[in-house]
Amino acid sequence: MSEEGRGDGEVPDAELVKRARKGDDGALGSLVRRHQAGAYRLAVSYMGDRDAAEDVVQEAFVKAFRALDRFRGDASFRTWLLRITANEAKGTLRRIGRRGEARLEDAPDVAGTGPDPAATAVMAGEAERARALLRLLPEKQRLSVSLRTEEGLSFREIGEVTDSSEGAARVNYFHGIRRLRELME
Amino acid sequence: MNRSDCGAVRDMLPDVVGTDGAAHETRRFVERHTAECESCAAELVLIRELRRTRPEPSTALATRLEQVVRYERQAVQRPWWALTAAAVAALMLGIAVSSEPAGEVVAPAFAIEAEENWPWASADGLVAGGPVFDDLSDEALGRLLEDLSDNPGGA
Repeated sequence: MSEEGRGDGEVPDAELVKRARKGDDGALGSLVRRHQAGAYRLAVSYMGDRDAAEDVVQEAFVKAFRALDRFRGDASFRTWLLRITANEAKGTLRRIGRRGEARLEDAPDVAGTGPDPAATAVMAGEAERARALLRLLPEKQRLSVSLRTEEGLSFREIGEVTDSSEGAARVNYFHGIRRLRELME
Repeated sequence: MNRSDCGAVRDMLPDVVGTDGAAHETRRFVERHTAECESCAAELVLIRELRRTRPEPSTALATRLEQVVRYERQAVQRPWWALTAAAVAALMLGIAVSSEPAGEVVAPAFAIEAEENWPWASADGLVAGGPVFDDLSDEALGRLLEDLSDNPGGA
Protein backbone atom coordinates (compact mmCIF):
# COMPACT_ATOMS: atom_id res chain seq x y z
CA MET A 1 0.00 0.00 0.00
CA SER A 2 1.41 3.34 -0.96
CA GLU A 3 0.38 5.07 2.24
CA GLU A 4 2.15 2.47 4.32
CA GLY A 5 5.28 2.61 2.27
CA ARG A 6 4.89 -0.97 1.09
CA GLY A 7 4.21 -0.20 -2.53
CA ASP A 8 6.56 -1.18 -5.29
CA GLY A 9 9.66 0.94 -5.43
CA GLU A 10 8.75 2.96 -2.36
CA VAL A 11 11.03 3.27 0.59
CA PRO A 12 9.37 1.62 3.60
CA ASP A 13 8.31 3.85 6.49
CA ALA A 14 10.73 2.18 8.89
CA GLU A 15 13.66 3.18 6.67
CA LEU A 16 12.38 6.75 6.29
CA VAL A 17 11.98 7.01 10.07
CA LYS A 18 15.56 5.85 10.54
CA ARG A 19 16.83 8.45 8.07
CA ALA A 20 14.64 11.22 9.49
CA ARG A 21 16.03 10.55 12.96
CA LYS A 22 19.51 11.17 11.56
CA GLY A 23 18.41 14.54 10.21
CA ASP A 24 17.50 13.60 6.63
CA ASP A 25 15.09 16.35 5.55
CA GLY A 26 14.00 14.46 2.45
CA ALA A 27 12.93 11.44 4.50
CA LEU A 28 11.05 13.73 6.87
CA GLY A 29 9.20 15.31 3.96
CA SER A 30 8.32 11.91 2.50
CA LEU A 31 6.83 10.75 5.78
CA VAL A 32 4.76 13.92 6.06
CA ARG A 33 3.47 13.76 2.49
CA ARG A 34 2.72 10.06 2.73
CA HIS A 35 0.64 10.24 5.89
CA GLN A 36 -0.88 13.69 6.08
CA ALA A 37 -4.02 12.84 4.09
CA GLY A 38 -4.93 9.83 6.27
CA ALA A 39 -4.33 11.81 9.44
CA TYR A 40 -6.40 14.65 8.07
CA ARG A 41 -9.33 12.35 7.26
CA LEU A 42 -9.19 10.83 10.73
CA ALA A 43 -9.23 14.32 12.23
CA VAL A 44 -12.21 15.25 10.04
CA SER A 45 -13.98 12.13 11.34
CA TYR A 46 -13.52 13.38 14.88
CA MET A 47 -14.00 17.10 14.40
CA GLY A 48 -16.51 17.26 11.53
CA ASP A 49 -14.89 20.51 10.48
CA ARG A 50 -12.06 20.82 7.98
CA ASP A 51 -10.31 23.85 9.47
CA ALA A 52 -10.36 22.35 12.94
CA ALA A 53 -9.09 19.08 11.46
CA GLU A 54 -6.09 20.83 9.88
CA ASP A 55 -5.19 22.40 13.23
CA VAL A 56 -5.47 19.00 14.93
CA VAL A 57 -3.23 17.38 12.33
CA GLN A 58 -0.61 20.10 12.66
CA GLU A 59 -0.50 19.74 16.43
CA ALA A 60 -0.41 15.95 16.17
CA PHE A 61 2.46 16.03 13.67
CA VAL A 62 4.43 18.43 15.84
CA LYS A 63 4.05 16.07 18.80
CA ALA A 64 4.76 12.95 16.79
CA PHE A 65 7.89 14.23 15.09
CA ARG A 66 9.18 15.77 18.28
CA ALA A 67 8.89 12.28 19.78
CA LEU A 68 10.21 10.45 16.72
CA ASP A 69 13.24 9.20 18.63
CA ARG A 70 10.90 7.44 21.05
CA PHE A 71 8.98 5.58 18.30
CA ARG A 72 9.86 1.95 19.00
CA GLY A 73 8.29 0.37 15.95
CA ASP A 74 5.94 -1.94 17.88
CA ALA A 75 3.13 -0.68 15.69
CA SER A 76 3.51 0.61 12.15
CA PHE A 77 4.49 4.25 11.82
CA ARG A 78 1.12 4.95 10.22
CA THR A 79 -0.98 3.57 13.08
CA TRP A 80 1.35 5.28 15.60
CA LEU A 81 0.81 8.62 13.87
CA LEU A 82 -2.94 8.05 13.56
CA ARG A 83 -3.13 7.17 17.24
CA ILE A 84 -1.44 10.46 18.13
CA THR A 85 -3.84 12.29 15.81
CA ALA A 86 -6.83 10.56 17.44
CA ASN A 87 -5.60 11.55 20.90
CA GLU A 88 -5.06 15.12 19.78
CA ALA A 89 -8.58 15.29 18.30
CA LYS A 90 -10.14 13.83 21.45
CA GLY A 91 -8.20 16.30 23.61
CA THR A 92 -9.35 19.20 21.45
CA LEU A 93 -12.98 18.08 21.59
CA ARG A 94 -12.70 17.78 25.37
CA ARG A 95 -11.22 21.25 25.66
CA ILE A 96 -13.95 22.87 23.62
CA GLY A 97 -16.64 20.74 25.26
CA ARG A 98 -18.01 19.24 22.11
CA ARG A 99 -18.85 15.76 20.87
CA GLY A 100 -17.94 14.61 17.38
CA GLU A 101 -21.33 13.30 16.31
CA ALA A 102 -23.64 15.45 14.26
CA ARG A 103 -27.30 15.77 15.16
CA LEU A 104 -29.96 14.07 13.08
CA GLU A 105 -31.53 17.40 12.17
CA ASP A 106 -28.21 18.56 10.68
CA ALA A 107 -28.12 15.71 8.18
CA PRO A 108 -29.72 15.97 4.77
CA ASP A 109 -33.19 14.49 4.58
CA VAL A 110 -33.28 10.74 4.59
CA ALA A 111 -35.52 9.15 2.00
CA GLY A 112 -38.99 8.76 3.46
CA THR A 113 -38.65 11.46 6.10
CA GLY A 114 -38.23 14.64 4.05
CA PRO A 115 -40.94 16.70 2.39
CA ASP A 116 -39.96 15.31 -1.01
CA PRO A 117 -37.56 12.41 -0.54
CA ALA A 118 -36.98 11.77 -4.23
CA ALA A 119 -36.10 15.38 -4.96
CA THR A 120 -33.92 15.56 -1.85
CA ALA A 121 -32.03 12.44 -2.83
CA VAL A 122 -31.35 13.81 -6.28
CA MET A 123 -30.21 17.16 -4.92
CA ALA A 124 -27.97 15.92 -2.17
CA GLY A 125 -26.60 13.02 -4.13
CA GLU A 126 -26.34 9.56 -2.64
CA ALA A 127 -22.66 9.86 -1.89
CA GLU A 128 -22.95 13.19 -0.11
CA ARG A 129 -25.92 11.87 1.82
CA ALA A 130 -23.99 8.78 2.89
CA ARG A 131 -21.14 10.98 4.06
CA ALA A 132 -23.46 13.25 6.02
CA LEU A 133 -25.23 10.26 7.58
CA LEU A 134 -21.88 8.78 8.55
CA ARG A 135 -21.51 11.67 10.96
CA LEU A 136 -24.60 10.50 12.83
CA LEU A 137 -22.96 7.25 13.91
CA PRO A 138 -21.51 6.90 17.40
CA GLU A 139 -17.80 7.72 17.54
CA LYS A 140 -16.29 4.22 17.49
CA GLN A 141 -18.62 3.04 14.73
CA ARG A 142 -17.94 6.15 12.67
CA LEU A 143 -14.17 5.82 13.09
CA SER A 144 -14.18 2.11 12.30
CA VAL A 145 -16.17 2.68 9.12
CA SER A 146 -13.97 5.62 8.07
CA LEU A 147 -10.67 3.91 8.77
CA ARG A 148 -11.75 0.69 7.06
CA THR A 149 -13.38 2.18 3.96
CA GLU A 150 -11.29 5.31 3.44
CA GLU A 151 -7.86 4.14 4.58
CA GLY A 152 -8.18 0.38 4.12
CA LEU A 153 -6.89 -0.33 7.62
CA SER A 154 -7.26 -3.84 9.00
CA PHE A 155 -9.38 -4.37 12.10
CA ARG A 156 -6.23 -4.91 14.15
CA GLU A 157 -4.88 -1.53 12.99
CA ILE A 158 -8.24 0.14 13.64
CA GLY A 159 -8.13 -1.27 17.16
CA GLU A 160 -4.65 0.21 17.66
CA VAL A 161 -5.80 3.64 16.52
CA THR A 162 -9.11 3.73 18.40
CA ASP A 163 -7.84 2.01 21.53
CA SER A 164 -10.11 -1.02 21.03
CA SER A 165 -9.54 -4.72 20.58
CA GLU A 166 -9.48 -6.14 17.06
CA GLY A 167 -12.82 -7.83 17.74
CA ALA A 168 -14.42 -4.63 19.00
CA ALA A 169 -13.20 -2.77 15.90
CA ARG A 170 -14.79 -5.44 13.69
CA VAL A 171 -18.12 -5.27 15.55
CA ASN A 172 -18.10 -1.47 15.45
CA TYR A 173 -17.46 -1.53 11.73
CA PHE A 174 -20.27 -3.92 10.87
CA HIS A 175 -22.71 -2.16 13.22
CA GLY A 176 -21.76 1.13 11.63
CA ILE A 177 -22.17 -0.09 8.05
CA ARG A 178 -25.52 -1.74 8.85
CA ARG A 179 -26.81 1.44 10.54
CA LEU A 180 -25.62 3.53 7.63
CA ARG A 181 -27.47 1.32 5.17
CA GLU A 182 -30.61 1.55 7.30
CA LEU A 183 -30.37 5.34 7.34
CA MET A 184 -29.85 5.38 3.59
CA GLU A 185 -33.02 3.36 2.91
CA MET B 1 -24.89 -17.83 -5.07
CA ASN B 2 -23.73 -19.13 -1.73
CA ARG B 3 -25.28 -17.18 1.19
CA SER B 4 -22.62 -18.48 3.55
CA ASP B 5 -20.05 -16.46 1.59
CA CYS B 6 -21.69 -13.14 2.54
CA GLY B 7 -19.71 -12.77 5.78
CA ALA B 8 -16.38 -13.35 4.08
CA VAL B 9 -17.28 -11.10 1.16
CA ARG B 10 -18.39 -8.21 3.37
CA ASP B 11 -15.08 -8.49 5.20
CA MET B 12 -13.24 -8.06 1.90
CA LEU B 13 -15.29 -5.27 0.31
CA PRO B 14 -13.14 -2.33 1.54
CA ASP B 15 -9.99 -4.09 0.29
CA VAL B 16 -11.54 -4.56 -3.14
CA VAL B 17 -12.55 -0.89 -3.30
CA GLY B 18 -9.07 0.26 -2.31
CA THR B 19 -6.67 0.78 -5.17
CA ASP B 20 -3.92 -1.41 -3.84
CA GLY B 21 -5.29 -3.84 -1.30
CA ALA B 22 -6.81 -7.00 -2.69
CA ALA B 23 -5.26 -9.81 -4.64
CA HIS B 24 -6.65 -10.77 -8.05
CA GLU B 25 -8.33 -13.92 -6.71
CA THR B 26 -10.05 -11.93 -3.98
CA ARG B 27 -11.42 -9.46 -6.51
CA ARG B 28 -12.75 -12.28 -8.70
CA PHE B 29 -14.37 -13.98 -5.71
CA VAL B 30 -16.09 -10.73 -4.64
CA GLU B 31 -17.16 -9.88 -8.19
CA ARG B 32 -18.76 -13.30 -8.67
CA HIS B 33 -20.60 -13.03 -5.37
CA THR B 34 -21.86 -9.45 -5.75
CA ALA B 35 -23.10 -10.22 -9.26
CA GLU B 36 -25.74 -12.42 -7.65
CA CYS B 37 -26.11 -11.08 -4.09
CA GLU B 38 -28.11 -7.85 -4.02
CA SER B 39 -27.33 -7.08 -0.39
CA CYS B 40 -23.55 -7.39 -0.72
CA ALA B 41 -23.69 -5.47 -4.03
CA ALA B 42 -25.51 -2.59 -2.28
CA GLU B 43 -22.89 -2.57 0.45
CA LEU B 44 -20.14 -2.50 -2.17
CA VAL B 45 -21.75 0.56 -3.78
CA LEU B 46 -21.98 2.30 -0.41
CA ILE B 47 -18.33 1.61 0.43
CA ARG B 48 -17.23 2.68 -3.03
CA GLU B 49 -19.08 6.00 -2.62
CA LEU B 50 -17.56 6.61 0.81
CA ARG B 51 -14.13 5.97 -0.61
CA ARG B 52 -14.72 8.14 -3.67
CA THR B 53 -15.90 11.13 -1.64
CA ARG B 54 -13.39 10.87 1.18
CA PRO B 55 -12.16 14.31 2.30
CA GLU B 56 -8.85 15.45 0.84
CA PRO B 57 -6.62 17.98 2.59
CA SER B 58 -5.68 21.25 0.92
CA THR B 59 -2.34 21.26 -0.88
CA ALA B 60 -1.18 23.95 1.53
CA LEU B 61 -1.47 21.56 4.48
CA ALA B 62 1.42 19.33 3.38
CA THR B 63 3.68 22.36 2.87
CA ARG B 64 2.74 23.79 6.25
CA LEU B 65 3.27 20.45 7.97
CA GLU B 66 6.67 19.95 6.36
CA GLN B 67 7.78 23.37 7.62
CA VAL B 68 6.64 22.92 11.21
CA VAL B 69 7.92 19.36 11.41
CA ARG B 70 11.36 20.37 10.07
CA TYR B 71 11.52 23.16 12.63
CA GLU B 72 10.61 20.76 15.42
CA ARG B 73 13.19 18.20 14.36
CA GLN B 74 15.90 20.86 14.15
CA ALA B 75 15.01 21.94 17.68
CA VAL B 76 15.20 18.34 18.90
CA GLN B 77 18.49 17.70 17.13
CA ARG B 78 20.20 20.92 18.28
CA PRO B 79 23.12 19.81 20.50
CA TRP B 80 22.72 20.25 24.25
CA TRP B 81 25.67 22.65 24.50
CA ALA B 82 24.07 24.98 21.94
CA LEU B 83 20.89 25.16 24.02
CA THR B 84 22.94 25.72 27.19
CA ALA B 85 24.99 28.46 25.52
CA ALA B 86 21.78 30.17 24.35
CA ALA B 87 20.32 29.98 27.85
CA VAL B 88 23.51 31.42 29.40
CA ALA B 89 23.60 34.24 26.83
CA ALA B 90 19.96 35.10 27.57
CA LEU B 91 20.68 35.08 31.30
CA MET B 92 23.72 37.36 30.92
CA LEU B 93 21.75 39.76 28.77
CA GLY B 94 18.99 39.86 31.39
CA ILE B 95 21.49 40.61 34.18
CA ALA B 96 23.15 43.37 32.13
CA VAL B 97 19.82 45.07 31.40
CA SER B 98 18.50 44.84 34.95
CA SER B 99 21.75 46.13 36.51
CA GLU B 100 21.80 49.32 34.41
CA PRO B 101 21.01 52.37 36.64
CA ALA B 102 17.46 53.53 36.07
CA GLY B 103 18.24 57.26 36.46
CA GLU B 104 15.69 60.05 36.45
CA VAL B 105 13.25 60.05 33.58
CA VAL B 106 13.51 63.40 31.86
CA ALA B 107 10.80 64.48 29.51
CA PRO B 108 12.07 65.64 26.12
CA ALA B 109 11.97 69.34 25.43
CA PHE B 110 8.96 69.14 23.15
CA ALA B 111 6.80 67.27 25.69
CA ILE B 112 4.00 69.40 27.09
CA GLU B 113 1.82 68.44 30.01
CA ALA B 114 -1.77 68.02 28.88
CA GLU B 115 -4.05 70.73 30.14
CA GLU B 116 -7.73 71.32 30.04
CA ASN B 117 -8.83 72.59 26.61
CA TRP B 118 -5.63 71.21 25.14
CA PRO B 119 -6.26 70.73 21.40
CA TRP B 120 -5.67 66.96 21.20
CA ALA B 121 -7.65 66.06 24.31
CA SER B 122 -11.06 64.51 23.59
CA ALA B 123 -14.13 65.20 25.71
CA ASP B 124 -13.57 62.12 27.91
CA GLY B 125 -10.03 63.10 28.73
CA LEU B 126 -8.33 60.74 26.30
CA VAL B 127 -5.85 62.07 23.83
CA ALA B 128 -7.30 61.09 20.50
CA GLY B 129 -8.22 62.25 17.05
CA GLY B 130 -6.87 65.22 15.15
CA PRO B 131 -6.15 68.60 16.70
CA VAL B 132 -9.01 71.10 17.16
CA PHE B 133 -7.75 74.68 17.22
CA ASP B 134 -11.06 76.55 17.17
CA ASP B 135 -11.35 77.06 20.91
CA LEU B 136 -7.74 78.12 21.51
CA SER B 137 -6.79 81.63 22.47
CA ASP B 138 -4.30 83.57 20.38
CA GLU B 139 -1.75 83.12 23.16
CA ALA B 140 -2.16 79.34 23.16
CA LEU B 141 -1.93 79.22 19.38
CA GLY B 142 1.24 81.29 19.52
CA ARG B 143 2.77 78.87 22.04
CA LEU B 144 1.97 75.97 19.74
CA LEU B 145 3.52 77.66 16.76
CA GLU B 146 6.67 78.34 18.81
CA ASP B 147 6.86 74.67 19.77
CA LEU B 148 6.41 73.61 16.17
CA SER B 149 9.16 75.91 14.98
CA ASP B 150 11.47 74.64 17.76
CA ASN B 151 10.72 70.99 16.87
CA PRO B 152 9.76 70.92 13.19
CA GLY B 153 10.08 67.10 12.99
CA GLY B 154 8.13 66.51 16.19
CA ALA B 155 11.17 64.94 17.85
